[in-house]
Amino acid sequence: MRLGITVGDSSGVGPEILLNAFSRGEIRYPFFAFGDYEVLTLCAETLGISVPIRRASLNEEPHPGEIGVIDHALLTSTDVTPGEINAASGHAARAYVVSATHAALERRIDAMVTLPMNKEATQLSDPDFTGHTELIGAICGSKDVTIMLASEELIVTHVSTHVSLAEAIRRVRRDRIERIIDLTCDAVARLRDSPRIAVAGLNPHAGENGLFGDEEIREIAPAVAWAKERGLPIEGPFPPDTLFYQAVRRKRFDAIVCMYHDQGHVPLKLLDFEGGVNVALGLPIVRTSVDHGTAFDIAWKGIASTRPLIGAIDMAVKLASGAGK
Amino acid sequence: MSARPRLLLLAGDPTGIGPEITAKLLALPETREAAEITLLGDHHVFRAGAKIAGTPESVFDGLPFVEERIGQIPAVAHLSCEAGAFTLATLRRACGLIRDGKVDVLLFAPLNKQAMMLAGLEQEDEMHFFAHQLGVTSLCSEINIAASLWTTRVTSHVPLKDVSGLLTAGGIFAAIDQVNSMLRRIKPEPRIAVAGFNPHAGEGGLLGREEIDVIAPAIERAQAAGILASGPYPPDTMFVRARKGEFDAVVTMYHDQGQIATKLIGFERGVTLQSGLPIPVVTPAHGTAFDIAGKGVAVASAILEAFRVGVAAARNSRVHDARALGN
Repeated sequence: MRLGITVGDSSGVGPEILLNAFSRGEIRYPFFAFGDYEVLTLCAETLGISVPIRRASLNEEPHPGEIGVIDHALLTSTDVTPGEINAASGHAARAYVVSATHAALERRIDAMVTLPMNKEATQLSDPDFTGHTELIGAICGSKDVTIMLASEELIVTHVSTHVSLAEAIRRVRRDRIERIIDLTCDAVARLRDSPRIAVAGLNPHAGENGLFGDEEIREIAPAVAWAKERGLPIEGPFPPDTLFYQAVRRKRFDAIVCMYHDQGHVPLKLLDFEGGVNVALGLPIVRTSVDHGTAFDIAWKGIASTRPLIGAIDMAVKLASGAGK
Repeated sequence: MSARPRLLLLAGDPTGIGPEITAKLLALPETREAAEITLLGDHHVFRAGAKIAGTPESVFDGLPFVEERIGQIPAVAHLSCEAGAFTLATLRRACGLIRDGKVDVLLFAPLNKQAMMLAGLEQEDEMHFFAHQLGVTSLCSEINIAASLWTTRVTSHVPLKDVSGLLTAGGIFAAIDQVNSMLRRIKPEPRIAVAGFNPHAGEGGLLGREEIDVIAPAIERAQAAGILASGPYPPDTMFVRARKGEFDAVVTMYHDQGQIATKLIGFERGVTLQSGLPIPVVTPAHGTAFDIAGKGVAVASAILEAFRVGVAAARNSRVHDARALGN
């Protein structure tokens, strides 16, 4: 098992999270860091974290006693501006993701774990950049990429994520829902034994038989029927507000297919703000991510939690090994 | 010395858990101490509830009773048009008492909306029914209270695709204003978070413009009026912050934006408070719970919370104070 961990935007919390997690012995698998050697050594020095850091190559095996950096040599220590938007850092963060994605596609690493990028910073050098997952999806040539958020108590997937709510509603279409159901079942089966998966409605009370909208009748229910015919463990559509309560507090379901970003993100963040792992589904590679941002307000202070990274790493390993729960 | 508020108590749909949790509520000493309680309904229904709950019938002793009859008590845990018609009749009777100025707060145990609709309810829910009966044409909003977080919404039982078209700066401001006025009776200077509509609150216009066009202007107007409103916030992180106590109330743009969170946070104790009517109207947020009705296992935690909120809201309202002074 060889992981690739991209360091993200150097102005943010990525570098210190990686360094602290490693120095505390929390990273239990061999990995390469995709980043800049000089940035990591500067960060270690600044925060007094004593860890061996070495320039490495994908042609070797990762060494357990040190952080092996696939050094992109894009940033020097004078380029780094902790806590501030920095075009060079944004550009470098993008480069780390591109090379790690290629490494994963070429099977030179088994899975990719990403630390946060800063969208604004990256857009300074790449105005077409719309998001971390979108970038990876484009490089992989994947069309239907979706986000799964996984916590211990609940897993959610989404028919769409980073689009306006109006656009999300337009994307609630039978064929898209079927595709997401498929991806969801495949991923959840690797994480839970005998999973039970529910599909949320779009409208209040799941439309209440067409009284408050008809997407359930026209698009969602047919997709659920299609899934059931194929023997998938799917039920729904259910009224969204009681569904999450039923799934979590009454333990009726392991995963919920959500119709839009906030439908899944609001409950998941309430359940486990730190522990929720972001997984991209629909890619030919395994890619997990921490779910938080670059947190400029606390960047380079050494206080950022390592828990989300550890969760993302553990999840990547589970998915890459194809292991069950 | 301020007088206890006059609380009118209805047992809800007789086929659900309403009667049993009503009995359990009355069995608590704090309820009689905190309010002057009048019961409204069919005394057979109240007594049947006490039997299921295992409370003695003495819990009803000495309480004024306004009788409204049901023909035959329908079986529990079954949708019943007769039960729906009965609950509508009790609501109408309650509105009559409210119009006569005899009530400071109305508390009703869960109704079954489907049953009421079968029986001819013309409005979309009981809150709109009250508004109609009481001649209220100005804004009424439903506030959900869970773990002391107040959540209200600008739009309610409408298709999600229609919500954006219904959002106006004036309407959002009115919702902020109304929850602020209500909450101020209980907590001074409440901090009110206003949700965005789109993910990441629209991300500066990249993911939609509702925040820029209507929500932010509404917040500015509220701030100018001295309300501690802020936002628009990305909805997913807003609830996390609210639950940590950073905000006292959140204003959401559509039904599920708030309802998913409030039910997750506090289903067993959730309260629905209807504001904008002449008096506070409260009820437990949970439904008639057919799956457990009649078994005696329903807990009274939410109806007790509803009772407390209703009494606090009534005690601090100007109308009540005027009456107390007049005594």
